[in-house]
Amino acid sequence: MNQREKLFPPGTSPLEDRHVLEVRHDQSTSYPYSGTPTEASSWPTYGVDNSHTQNGFPSNSTYGYEQHVLPPQKDSVNGATEASSLSLGSTSIGQDYNGYMTYQNSTDSSGYGNTGYTGYYSGYQQQPQNSYAQPVAAYQSTNYQSPAGYSNSNYSNQTSQWNGTTYSSYTQYPYSNYPPASTSAYSSSNASVSSAHYQPQYNQWAEHYAQAEVSCAPGTEKLSVTAASLVESVNSGISHGTMISNQPTAPVAATWKPDTGSLEVPPPQPSGTVGIGYDAYWKQTTSGYLNHHTPSGQSNYLQPSGAKAAYSNYPEEQKSAYNQSNMQYPQVPQSHQLSGQINTSATIQSVSRVQIPTNPRIVSNLALGLTKTEKAAPEGKPAYMSVSFPKTNEKTLMGDATNSTLKHGAFPKSLRGYVERALARCKGDAQIAASQAVMKEIITNATADGTLHTRDWDAEPLFPLPDVDNLSKESLTPISLRLFKKSPTRRTKSRWEPLAEEKLAGESIPKNNNAIRYGGWKQATARDQKALVDSSEDKEDMVQAPSISNGEHKFANFQKRFKKPRLSVNITATENEDASSDSDKDVNLTAEERKKRESRSKRFDKGRGNHVEKGYVKPKVAGSANLYPRRATAQVLSKALDDSGSRAVEDIDWDALTVRGTSQEIEKRYLRLTSAPDPATVRPEEVLEKAVLMVQNSQKNYLYKCDQLKSIRQDLTVQRIRNHLTVKVYEIHARLALEVRDLAEYNQCQSQLKTLYAEGIEGCHMEFTAYGLLSVILHSHNIRDLLSLMSRLSSDAKQNDAVRHALAVRRAVTSGNYVMFFRLYKTAPNMNSCIMDQYADKMRYRAVTCICKSHRPTVPVSYIAQVLGFTHTVAATDGNDEKESDGLEECAGWLKAHGACLISDNSGETQLDSKASASTLYVPEPEDAVAHGDASLAVDDFLARAPS
Amino acid sequence: MAAYLSMGEAHRRINDYLNRFADSVMSQDVGSLKSLLTLTADSPFLLAVADSISLVQDGNRLIKQSEKYSQLAEILVPLLRAIQCYRVNNLADAYHAFEKAANAFVQEFRNWDSAWALDAIYVVAYEIRVLAERADTKLSSEGKSPEKLKAAGSFLMKVFGVLAGKGPKRVGALYVTCQLFKIYFKLGTVHLCRSVIRSIETARIFDFEEFPNRDKVTYMYYTGRLEVFNENFPAADHKLSYALKHCNLRKEANIRMILKYLIPVKLSLGILPRDWLLEKYNLVEYSKVIQALQRGDLRLLRNALEENEDRFLRSGVYLVLEKLELQVYQRLLKKIYAIQKLKEPGKAHQLKLEVIIKALKWLEIDMDLDEVECIVAILIHRNLVKGYFAHKSKVVVLSKQDPFPKLTGKPMGS
Repeated sequence: MNQREKLFPPGTSPLEDRHVLEVRHDQSTSYPYSGTPTEASSWPTYGVDNSHTQNGFPSNSTYGYEQHVLPPQKDSVNGATEASSLSLGSTSIGQDYNGYMTYQNSTDSSGYGNTGYTGYYSGYQQQPQNSYAQPVAAYQSTNYQSPAGYSNSNYSNQTSQWNGTTYSSYTQYPYSNYPPASTSAYSSSNASVSSAHYQPQYNQWAEHYAQAEVSCAPGTEKLSVTAASLVESVNSGISHGTMISNQPTAPVAATWKPDTGSLEVPPPQPSGTVGIGYDAYWKQTTSGYLNHHTPSGQSNYLQPSGAKAAYSNYPEEQKSAYNQSNMQYPQVPQSHQLSGQINTSATIQSVSRVQIPTNPRIVSNLALGLTKTEKAAPEGKPAYMSVSFPKTNEKTLMGDATNSTLKHGAFPKSLRGYVERALARCKGDAQIAASQAVMKEIITNATADGTLHTRDWDAEPLFPLPDVDNLSKESLTPISLRLFKKSPTRRTKSRWEPLAEEKLAGESIPKNNNAIRYGGWKQATARDQKALVDSSEDKEDMVQAPSISNGEHKFANFQKRFKKPRLSVNITATENEDASSDSDKDVNLTAEERKKRESRSKRFDKGRGNHVEKGYVKPKVAGSANLYPRRATAQVLSKALDDSGSRAVEDIDWDALTVRGTSQEIEKRYLRLTSAPDPATVRPEEVLEKAVLMVQNSQKNYLYKCDQLKSIRQDLTVQRIRNHLTVKVYEIHARLALEVRDLAEYNQCQSQLKTLYAEGIEGCHMEFTAYGLLSVILHSHNIRDLLSLMSRLSSDAKQNDAVRHALAVRRAVTSGNYVMFFRLYKTAPNMNSCIMDQYADKMRYRAVTCICKSHRPTVPVSYIAQVLGFTHTVAATDGNDEKESDGLEECAGWLKAHGACLISDNSGETQLDSKASASTLYVPEPEDAVAHGDASLAVDDFLARAPS
Repeated sequence: MAAYLSMGEAHRRINDYLNRFADSVMSQDVGSLKSLLTLTADSPFLLAVADSISLVQDGNRLIKQSEKYSQLAEILVPLLRAIQCYRVNNLADAYHAFEKAANAFVQEFRNWDSAWALDAIYVVAYEIRVLAERADTKLSSEGKSPEKLKAAGSFLMKVFGVLAGKGPKRVGALYVTCQLFKIYFKLGTVHLCRSVIRSIETARIFDFEEFPNRDKVTYMYYTGRLEVFNENFPAADHKLSYALKHCNLRKEANIRMILKYLIPVKLSLGILPRDWLLEKYNLVEYSKVIQALQRGDLRLLRNALEENEDRFLRSGVYLVLEKLELQVYQRLLKKIYAIQKLKEPGKAHQLKLEVIIKALKWLEIDMDLDEVECIVAILIHRNLVKGYFAHKSKVVVLSKQDPFPKLTGKPMGS
């Protein structure tokens, strides 16, 4: 860009430059530019520069200039029809306001978020005197500053500017869509501003449009044709120029020259081709692709382009659409027309736009939009139409650039130059496509024989220009397709917006078999772009590339450059670098971050989707099934949004959305939900009952059962079933967990049971009261909890065996009565012993320390084994002696492990030397100790303990 | 009464109330401000105002009419509503309105440089707690979930934040702390006390002794109780004794509350109160426990615990008292020792387990050898008995010197 700048004599003031540009723009028909290739080359850049003019003086100048230029233009043009609209633009803002008042209202009702516009409004207020600058300023004041610059540039410059305009308007679009509720989320933008502000914004746009009309007027008929053929080449030229700063002049000039020529003598063929292409698209209309973007805008565009041969048709179409939309939005017509004009003008300006129709994605959009307009302007997003249309433009341009950028990103610079050169001489899409095909072959060959990097591409002769006539018919479509495919990706994005687009773009590839040539490239797009941007040291070269590749980039860069004029064309490389590095940030987002953002903004997306695509929400969902990982949420939410309009996710009545499962599978693995449950995978109560039975009778190990029970619990929870079955499941699970000492799981169940019992649902309340008491006593040691638990025991509860047992255990523990404790341990009802089990070791240690201190001189191990519960209860029935001796050994082993001193007395009985042991007792490190402190979490050990 | 009120009279009364309120704020007259904020005292003046509000319906208009009142409208509007709701026993609404008024008042208070209205803040804190308690009782009797006290807790936490900084307002922090303690103890969320205590006790810029005596006593009482829960008896003894020492002697109810905890704590430290103390403060539920301790009568202790189980559980001293069992055992052994000494002085230091079992049996407590051996082991382990146990011969061999050491203020087992 810097180089571009330098092309201009340093003395030239930005205003002057603009002048030139403006002229060119206005008289697009004749394209005075042709004579001055250099300037032409700088042209795209130029637009950028202008657009960058920030709120202050540059925009002003632009404005003033515009004013001057416009009237003559008007005269020269036959745009008598547009005169009215022009006057609208030039007239005072106040008028506009009035006109759009109504419109605004309707917008609101349709659930527009005001966010986007608030910014504008504020900007507007800031610079009330400058009607044109307003939008710009507004934009800047908003988070999205760059677009503002764009809108400005629109007026002063031509194509590129137009793109810019498009951009700004486009940007505006997504935001406006956000449901008001989401405004807060958007806090960065001025959420505080009220909806009323939308209005002024609108006016401004209206003005824009009016002006656009003017400019379009002259070109109208011719342009439609010309643009079609020429645009392509121009586009490529632009992109190339951008791409390769080294040889900007030459290619651009080349590009432009053909343009002029064609402009003057529009070749009939291209137009025909284009027409065909369009037809194809219309057919493609079908359905399939529902984009997030406003289709309507594209539809607008389509109309003009489609009708371009017979431009007169266009207004009619518009009218019809308009009439329908009229119902809802009285103001629509105006905007419509405006947009239409914009379109035409766009045709002129943005060479690239011709390709737009080709992109299947957009095509689909177009189709949709068309349907809309033709059918009944479904939800009548007229505003969007006009607004969004330009976006397409922009995208295309970007896509173009990106395309080439990407393509060449991995290749030597010289090769890129070569490609640029080759493309620069092309006229029209067909030629470009053909050339590209040839080049691809060349490159492929070069890669294959390893000369890709060694060959001197700068010296390489260009291949003969392919015969366009032959190619045009077949090749046009694919080319444009490719371009178009990209465009969705390149949409201006706020950081809040989901990356869905990229995904979409990616996935569109397989869908479109059309992606003949550049499919490969396209796929690489996102990543390559990044890589490119990252790797490029040569910022000057690359500045445009990132900006093109990413909406934000573009904005950032543009903005930076926008300052240039102010700085008297002395933009520094650092600044540029800053800009791009700034924007790099976004490009470099990690995949996770992107995902996060995506999910974060998903709800906005949804909301927007609703507004935009109200008419065809269902197809959208169907389509998105492929695009997003399919989520039940989508269905639920879209449904909810369907009938609730602009309700935010938070306001959704979840009661109404409670899932009723339909799955008949008895077995189901547990998977923690990450989204709303899908009824198809949730089991209804009857099935769950079977599942419980299955788990109970299962011979598999605890891990399996736990998994199954958790999934059952989950299904119960999501269906909000709270009854005996719920209690039963939790009880079963709690017991199982106790059995294998899975305390974490047990605690979960216990706390759930507590609330379930409190709700009066029958179950084994007493059993679990006892468990509760025991765990407080033995594990949490919280006296306060214990007291409150005890004080809440009913007299009935106190009569219950299990509870009485638990209370007795408490007494034994608080007094340290180990004899009592182990007696209770042996006689524990239910699974009380399982809880006590975990305390037994501690109790034994306490007991042995106590014994060692109190007993002299020795204590027989047999006594200790008996008192400390080492003997097994089985022993009592028969085989007494054997079992007891087992316990003895175990006890002796335990004592030794704890540092006790054992001796044998005369009769050969093992004795504990209490005095010697008193000082040597210690608690050994648990063998199964794990770093995280919870041995039960060690998988191996856990599996070993789990009864399989 | 309301029926006989004329409209004019009602207006006059409301105006009177508003006037008094505004004047007291203007003149920084805490005394009258306090009385105007005291909802729950059922003062005749406020009752009359309440009736008037019910009659007039649009009391708010009166507030907005006058410049003088409208400055305080954020306080007065909800306050009038609270007064009215309280009058008709709509306690939940009264609480809600009063909290609003209190919030506005506290915000005002925050802006005042001096702490002149501290007493009014006390009243607000007290009223909000009492109102919340009453509202909760009413709510739960109606089957609704009582959550007002919880709300009062978080509101008072805010008030605490206003007071706890530096400056003259800090004096009031302890009062609010005490109100918070009351709430937390009532709600059973005593763990929430910790943060408040920390900010009181770690603030070095403010000496604890500078707080009002009243608050100090309350604070010590509650923190003492917390120490009882922690079974940190020496600390509990210290705090509760402090509270007892500084407590106004005429506030017998307060003294009783302190003693209710101090006595078990002292008992577990081996210090027994005199009978008259129990009688004077109507703490006779402890008398049996004390008797059991004196006589070594395990059965009596268990009976006493069983009798008053609910009460002891609720007050939280049950576990403390239960732990006295070991001291009772000690006493029992001591008695046996004394008797043996009389019979056979030479062998007195040898206590046979069988004898102990026999004694327990006489107390109608059935324990076998192992259990008694265990008890004896614990007694020796806890230093309640000096000596050792000979397992083989089942005999406790007592130390010749001071075989039954007294605790005398030290916790058991030390």
